[in-house]
Amino acid sequence: MNGIGASPPRPDGFAKVSGAARYLDDLSLPGMWHGATLRSPHAHARIRSIAWDAALAPDGAVCVTVGDLPGPNGVQLIDDGWPILAGAFTHHVGEPVALVAAPTRLAAQQALQAFTVTYEPLDAVLSLEAAEALPPLYQLGMDSGDVDAALARADLVVEGEYRTGHQEHIYIECNGMIASYAEDGALTVLGSMQCPYYVQKALTHALGLADEQVRVRATTVGGGFGGKEDFPSAIALHAALLARACGRPVKLVYDRHEDIVCTSKRHPTLVRHRTGVTRDGRLAALDIEILMDGGAYTTLSSVVLSRALLHSFGPYRCADVRIRARALRTHTAPNSAFRGFGAPQVEFAIERQMDRIAHRLGLDPLEIRLRNAVAPGDRLPTGQILDAGTSALPCLEEVARRTRFRERRQELEAARARRAAEGDEDQNGAEPRRGIGLSLYFHGAGFTGNGERMMKSPVTARLLPDGRIEVLTAMTDMGQGCSAVFPQIAAAAGGLLPEDVTFAEPDTAEVPDSGPTVASRTTMIVGGLIARVTAALRDRVLEGLPGHTVRDGWIESPAGRVERFRDAARRLRAEHGPVELTLRHEPPAWQTFDETTYRGAAYPTYAWGADVVEVEVDPDTLAVRPLQVTAVCEVGRAIHPTLCAGQIEGGTLQALGWALLEEMKLEDGRYLNDRLATYVIPTILDSPRIDVHLLESHRDGGGPFGGPFGAKGVGELPMDGGAPAVAQAIENATGIGVPAIPATPERLLAWQRAGQTPGGVR
Amino acid sequence: MRPFDYARPATREQAVQLLAATPGRAAVLAGGSDLLALMKDGVVTPERLVSLQGLQGDHTLRFLRYTAAAGFRIGALTTLADLAASEVLRLEHPVVAETAGRLAGPQIRNVATVGGNLCQRPRCWYFRSGFGLLAAREGASLVVAGDNRHHAILGNDGPAYFVTPSTLAPVLIALDAEVVLLGPQGERTIPLEKLYRLPLAEGEREHDLGPGEILTELQLGPAAGRQVGTWEVRQRETLDWSLATAAVALEMEDGRVKRARVVLGQVAPLPWTSREAESFLTGKTIDEAAADEAAKLAVQGAKPLSKNRYKVQLARVAVRRALLAATGLDREL
Repeated sequence: MNGIGASPPRPDGFAKVSGAARYLDDLSLPGMWHGATLRSPHAHARIRSIAWDAALAPDGAVCVTVGDLPGPNGVQLIDDGWPILAGAFTHHVGEPVALVAAPTRLAAQQALQAFTVTYEPLDAVLSLEAAEALPPLYQLGMDSGDVDAALARADLVVEGEYRTGHQEHIYIECNGMIASYAEDGALTVLGSMQCPYYVQKALTHALGLADEQVRVRATTVGGGFGGKEDFPSAIALHAALLARACGRPVKLVYDRHEDIVCTSKRHPTLVRHRTGVTRDGRLAALDIEILMDGGAYTTLSSVVLSRALLHSFGPYRCADVRIRARALRTHTAPNSAFRGFGAPQVEFAIERQMDRIAHRLGLDPLEIRLRNAVAPGDRLPTGQILDAGTSALPCLEEVARRTRFRERRQELEAARARRAAEGDEDQNGAEPRRGIGLSLYFHGAGFTGNGERMMKSPVTARLLPDGRIEVLTAMTDMGQGCSAVFPQIAAAAGGLLPEDVTFAEPDTAEVPDSGPTVASRTTMIVGGLIARVTAALRDRVLEGLPGHTVRDGWIESPAGRVERFRDAARRLRAEHGPVELTLRHEPPAWQTFDETTYRGAAYPTYAWGADVVEVEVDPDTLAVRPLQVTAVCEVGRAIHPTLCAGQIEGGTLQALGWALLEEMKLEDGRYLNDRLATYVIPTILDSPRIDVHLLESHRDGGGPFGGPFGAKGVGELPMDGGAPAVAQAIENATGIGVPAIPATPERLLAWQRAGQTPGGVR
Repeated sequence: MRPFDYARPATREQAVQLLAATPGRAAVLAGGSDLLALMKDGVVTPERLVSLQGLQGDHTLRFLRYTAAAGFRIGALTTLADLAASEVLRLEHPVVAETAGRLAGPQIRNVATVGGNLCQRPRCWYFRSGFGLLAAREGASLVVAGDNRHHAILGNDGPAYFVTPSTLAPVLIALDAEVVLLGPQGERTIPLEKLYRLPLAEGEREHDLGPGEILTELQLGPAAGRQVGTWEVRQRETLDWSLATAAVALEMEDGRVKRARVVLGQVAPLPWTSREAESFLTGKTIDEAAADEAAKLAVQGAKPLSKNRYKVQLARVAVRRALLAATGLDREL
């Protein structure tokens, strides 16, 4: 069974499980040296001088400082404002100041001692509060209707302030690159990355090379979660600069400590809500202010902020909306892409605000959402009219039905009341308190706004001499499973068998720039192109065979004669030579978006979800243990239901870790818990049972948004729902308000003492 | 990691000599689960590692011997997995075997040793980030001014604010375990409790180990009818150190406590014996009210730092629950 909706084994699975897969650090090139990076110990300082004493460096080690750069000192992403090496100033602890290469990794580490850097420490901005008064890195706004008038008319105005913290990606494989120059000056970079063409662009920009002189190949990628969207470009540049300096291939691999110290995290965020509601619990006005900690450089903060703005109103109806969003500058490593890309933070905030409103009005969390959730044909605050696959209500109803949410909530309430009546509600009641919580969430699939229109994302298919179709894309399988899903899509769209189609490795010398592996776009956008280009190439094969049909890899003539598709394709290839087609993505004509007013259809479609979480809270320590999560997600069409559900399980657990455990502790701009011993993420023993139920809204094989067979992007969706549901469950269990995450026992104790309640501070 | 000499002596005496030859610049390698991480992070930079894994014949330190009269003699290189799997330990001291079986994860338990667990270095993030054991700058503690949420609430008059990391030590101390130390001057046996001390200056160690001295053996008497209970508060379920631990051992007579040991872990720079709780419990029958009162007394002298007030509550809860576990009251609730 390999068709759409089947779950065939993933082609990369055996090699990864058996240890045969070769990751970047498993690779070695002849004569290869190793690089190391000198990093700033200061959050903010002027660099007075950098001296290198070659006599102190072992084995002829070479160094690269900012003066050695052959071109602009900027890593090209959206712009090139992010320095390759710190210039006159350093703006965060761990910022690269200089580089060395030496014959061994140890020698490279030792060679760092040959540098003497004189810093003049300066005052550092280290919190959102401190940064708020300063000019932002980036800001955005959106207005719909008349918020002030709507607030004035509202029966009740509810205010809330919600915070979320840093989150580290903890991909299993740390960042790493190998760069090597050929004699003709051509550069090849191998590495762990999500976006080969981003890396190529950064290399050509900074090194003054032409596209054809720079080849970037993604090796087996051991996880990304967004953490390999921007940093690989910087690390590739560092490796290339060192290779250029020593005339040999150079490998630059971060260990876990270095990776945590200097690479990006999820943006810490503060969201302020002021919401007008009617007496019967309908949203009348949303006034939202978003502050995100961008760190020292903008990197991708502008687009993260944009996605945050476009998810901050949640999956709810409201005509009068004002949103102001700012990415602020602090002296910490740049915060950047992380699964969800700004949406989890703002959806945590709107969901917490909905809970607070419900609490004030005496409604239950399900009811407030049922009254406000968007339905097909409704307008989002951006003006986008929602399509027939809009599934907020179906997800909500299904999750409530499966978990008996209302009854269960009442049962738990009754049990608590009974215990209180029995006088067992004192501080020392050893029996854990149970609570239940619910969240509703949505995620725009694909690039924001006009991103896909600009990207175009060419995908190529060509006939191989043996008659198979080869499809070429730049997408990397970082574990999410596109290497399993793509063949299913191609085979189903082409009427072929999976073995009739093969996929090229992501290598810029071979594949077209079908865009980065980000933004839940891989299956929906690139998968859609794969379906179209495979079908188009099949049609080329059939051009000379009028009346013939293809099914399951066999061609049938009108007379009933059958032959393998591959045999016909091989004949065509032998007779005509290379046969190749390239198609580009064209968003549906109705999807237009104004990047200045933020009005229009920001995404071609949305995926939807609702979670119910049941927790147990230790009454004495306030330690929270999630027991059970039920996630109902509407994904359009699940191409590979096992992998799809796996994405949702993994994303949900990642969200629970962010909500309950994971916290970056900063001191003077340094992360104090910069090791896995202290940066605690959930293990399997901390994982609740996660039941995933997929809903599919596809009709007749597709949707108006162009996803293959109606599939929507799903990779980031599950990151949005876990945190607010668990926060509500904690409130339900304890009566302690949870305005921020992580909801660690120490914070819960502090909130309890401070009088935090679900309705706000008492 | 810095380069180092590696020695793999065959006898215990050779090991001691190799260590004593370069005092302060050599380190003992047993399982390596703590030492190698410290070396990789550059927190310690020994010039010589003396491995105890090559000891031969009678000199080997991986053994677990039991006699009904004297109890256990456990070699320092016995792994935590060995402890957890020992049938006789499970019968005589089930709480010790269970504590060992809950530590870290299976891979660590397979290499980490009893001696290493008792001599492991603090998890203080200032120490682990290279600020030194006392984490002082110009005479002032970084811990007091900084993020001290995991630091000491007891015994924290300075200059040490880290907490003792071993989860095994409190229960062993509660059971009056002793350790055998071998050094250039020969062998000495001390109560495990006395292995731990407060360092008063940077460069001093938190263990009473002289130059060249190694911990060779743990001695643990028979259970002798003591009622034993522990409670650990953790951030997550596995692969983590506790936030607070309590271990309780009660000698009972006619339903009353004849002698009590109450030892807390992760709340002070050394395993913290609560004399207040111990003397309160003596002569009492244990019920919930007594457990509450003992727990309150155990943290009565706590002086939380700026960010760790919550640990007082955790320590109190740990003592209370350890007492209830020791007396089986937790199961009756």
